[in-house]
Amino acid sequence: MSHQHPRLREFKFTLYRIVRNPSAIIGFTLLLFFSGVALFAPQIAPPKYAYNPYMMPHKGYSPTPKPPSDSNIFGTTSGQYDIFYGAVWGTRTAFKIGLFVVGISGLVGVTLGAVSGYYGGIIDEILMRITDIMWSIPTLVLAMAIVVAFGRGLDKVMIALAMVQWRWYVRVIRSEILTLRDEDFVQAAKIMGVSDPKIILRHILPNAIYPVLIMASMDMGSMVITAAFMSFIGLGSPRGFSDWGQMVALARNYIVGPPDDPLRFWYTIVIPGGCIVLFVLAWNLIGDALRDAFDPKLRRR
Amino acid sequence: MLTYIIRRLLLLLFVLFGVSILIFGILMTFSPERRAAAYVTTPQQAKDIPRLIQQFGLDDPFYIQYFRWIKEVSRGNMGWSLVAARPVREAFWRYLPVTLEMNLFAAPIVIVFGIWLGTISGIHRDTYIDHVTRIFAIVGWSLPTFLFALVLLMVFYGYFHLFTPGVISDQVTMFILDNPEKFTRFTGMYTIDGILNGRLDITLDALGHLVLPVLTYVIVVVALNMRVMRSGIIEELSKDYIITARAKGADKRTIHIKHARRNALLPVVTVAGQLLAMSMEGSIAVEVVFTRQGIGWWLAESATQLDMPVLMCICLFMGVVFVVTNLTLDILYAYIDPRIRLT
Amino acid sequence: MATLLETVDLVTDFYTYEGVVKALNKISLVVDHGATFGLVGESGCGKSVTARSIMRIVQEPGRIERGKVIVYLDEKNRQAGVDLLQQSEAYMQAFRGDCISMIFQEPNAALNPIMSIGDQVCESFLFHQKREMCAKILEDLCAPECRTFYPLRKLQRAIYRMAVHAPDTLVLKILDRIPLMKLWQKRFKKEAKRRSIEIVGKLGIPNPRQIVEQYPHNLSGGMKQRIVIAMALACSPMLLIADEATSNLDVTIQAQILELLRQLRKEVISSILLITHDLGVVAETCDRVGVMYAGNLCEVADVKDLFSKPLHPYTKALLDAVPKFSMEGTLKSIEGNVPNLVTPPPGCRFHPRCPHAMGICRMEPPILTEVRNNHLTACHLIKSGKT
Repeated sequence: MSHQHPRLREFKFTLYRIVRNPSAIIGFTLLLFFSGVALFAPQIAPPKYAYNPYMMPHKGYSPTPKPPSDSNIFGTTSGQYDIFYGAVWGTRTAFKIGLFVVGISGLVGVTLGAVSGYYGGIIDEILMRITDIMWSIPTLVLAMAIVVAFGRGLDKVMIALAMVQWRWYVRVIRSEILTLRDEDFVQAAKIMGVSDPKIILRHILPNAIYPVLIMASMDMGSMVITAAFMSFIGLGSPRGFSDWGQMVALARNYIVGPPDDPLRFWYTIVIPGGCIVLFVLAWNLIGDALRDAFDPKLRRR
Repeated sequence: MLTYIIRRLLLLLFVLFGVSILIFGILMTFSPERRAAAYVTTPQQAKDIPRLIQQFGLDDPFYIQYFRWIKEVSRGNMGWSLVAARPVREAFWRYLPVTLEMNLFAAPIVIVFGIWLGTISGIHRDTYIDHVTRIFAIVGWSLPTFLFALVLLMVFYGYFHLFTPGVISDQVTMFILDNPEKFTRFTGMYTIDGILNGRLDITLDALGHLVLPVLTYVIVVVALNMRVMRSGIIEELSKDYIITARAKGADKRTIHIKHARRNALLPVVTVAGQLLAMSMEGSIAVEVVFTRQGIGWWLAESATQLDMPVLMCICLFMGVVFVVTNLTLDILYAYIDPRIRLT
Repeated sequence: MATLLETVDLVTDFYTYEGVVKALNKISLVVDHGATFGLVGESGCGKSVTARSIMRIVQEPGRIERGKVIVYLDEKNRQAGVDLLQQSEAYMQAFRGDCISMIFQEPNAALNPIMSIGDQVCESFLFHQKREMCAKILEDLCAPECRTFYPLRKLQRAIYRMAVHAPDTLVLKILDRIPLMKLWQKRFKKEAKRRSIEIVGKLGIPNPRQIVEQYPHNLSGGMKQRIVIAMALACSPMLLIADEATSNLDVTIQAQILELLRQLRKEVISSILLITHDLGVVAETCDRVGVMYAGNLCEVADVKDLFSKPLHPYTKALLDAVPKFSMEGTLKSIEGNVPNLVTPPPGCRFHPRCPHAMGICRMEPPILTEVRNNHLTACHLIKSGKT
């Protein structure tokens, strides 16, 4: 065992720790399931409107939701939108939101944080002051302010969230880099004449990236939640769009059914809500497993 | 210490300045026509837009408009809220107690449960207790607050007919409207005012309306709090001074509580600021779903109706809250950890 | 000399991801009353694990598998030995710090950073000497010179009487929980503090009263180590285990601490188990030495015997490797590497590196046997009389 390349051994050990973790297995399975649904959405729920497959099909405009039946597997929402269709295509929407926001905010945040942390000095000061200002307002509030300024719509929500979320990555990466910057191996590289960008990319970043990966995985989930909430209050996708938050918004007046059967319209909330919860759960489980696997103190037992 | 506090309060002003510029900048992305149009309600008025622009100087340079706005704000005039149908300043003081009330009841629960659950799951790591609390934490964190609130509403209100949404029941509202002299609003919080007015039934009624919102809110925040505490305890338990204590003959209880937990509280205090941010977001969702007219509800309604002055006011408010909270937390941290001396 | 501590065939294993690390392989050593026993060996040979196994504070994933750790508390009565491995955890908690104490390698990490020095030293007294302190306070309270308010004095006398005779009663436990009533502890906390100031002063630390109020980060490394020693000696233990206690200090401080330990051995402690990798320290301070390699005790002898007539090949190689003034040429080292304890070599664990390895060394592990008076070694070579 001690004859393998050390990196390969560490990688295998990390995999071992992840696989040994039952929550990780559940998380990966769920994620695989959702990816499959998202990829094969056109096959699972054929789009009715070819020009915009995200619009949910509806037969009629009746406000009362209909329970699950043969024509609508999960039932319909208020306004007769097919829940099954919404759930399937909503998976694609969720992935879009998550990947876009995490991708852009992660990239921007890591770059800015790395530069600021490594070079220090005046760049660091200015950047830190700016991020300090941004920190004083919670994500949701700031995103809401931006969406109000730019207008409604899912794309504006995604842009707003990306504009707000990068501050987390800056902070995380910067603190990691500040610790690593004074380590001996960085000093050694500097003395040998390695150029700065190369030091950052090849030496520091591979070590500093772990908390960022954990945070990115958690963010995939929490950004979907935030976007869902914004759709719920009407700032996100338009009515009829396949977005889980949108669908919950449609159910708002039907939380409580008629007095004799108060839970009649459970499917309008539980199904889109369940999709959100499972999706976020998948990403959170993975993030948690990553955190346990990467934590040097929890390793080597 | 005093100079430190003064310096931090100056920082508060700086942050507020930055926040106001940020918000104002966002506002200015509107063109003058759009901004005027936000106040237009009939086609008639649409023709008046150029005049409105002229009248309110909506096409003046950025800095002039900004200073005009700052002047107004410092005088206390923050505009008009469409949602509340009254000046922003008045509306703010009306909605604030509702939010405060909920936080007042939720905060101690969150702190106590978070620390307790985090400690026991850290001490009994990888055992049955740890796994259960971990599942609770992960599920709690994966649950969108608004969804959980909806489900609770559906179950408890819809099915069991307990815990109606809202701040207080209609009879009480009617009573107060009909007999204004019998009920004075001291603090604006029904639970406290009820006691101060000698009307315990009002207090109980208000408490009944608080159960579901606090429950929703608490579960999500405790989930977060607990994880931080747990990792803090695990880290502390692996440190050398714990072995020294064991070698001295300390029993488990002393080690866990007197040594490990106290040290583990430090990282919790550090993230308490972030937890506060998340709990603010949670309280918006809770207020919207349970129709409690507090700051969060006001924010959501104003956002839907594109009511900009309200958003700006609330953002400024948040800025103040955060800087003050962070300052308090830093002082608390310095108090607990003798290694830090604020200079 | 009478035996204080005796380990018999102690085996400790660590269950790790890479496999089961057989850290201790039947360690049997004997520490006498009033003697200093030095345990030497390379890093990773199992010296610390031995010490922690004796105290039963081995950390996860380690487990003490077999063996006995017998302590003879009463010097005169050899029959009254207690096997520590058979005792309950509660017994061990009362035992640690009171009869056997341990000090560690890293003084910077050994102290709780957010508790004052005084609080930490007092802890030792509060754990073990509660009864004595309460008895003394009771005496003071009953003395005619007592100046406390009469009813309060009666109440306190009653409480302290209870504390002396039955410290675990429910009444006292309840009193501890009620905030105001907790004040009854004030007296004996003050007494504990007085004792801690006393012991801190005894260890040669200037201004003990001020030091006691300070925090660990205010002190230097040498001072911190003295505080750690003070905490260990607070209850006058019979055995002090020093686990590489001077390895992380500068040479001058190291000399001071060793001198301090020597003094204390005359006054306060009875025996010391000194764990180190530094042969010089051993030569200077110890009466008896044990040499460990890869989880085995190779040789145990009186200091003079070991350094003048070493028997085991490993000991000889170690002593040869120490550079001496009179030497010339290249430094002598021991060939090969320390074995992987997950899969230790069969038979004698040193045989791959031993210049005198024989066939039997590969097959059978040698047993520690007495060769000369009180000089034991575990080597097939010696047994066969080939030296």
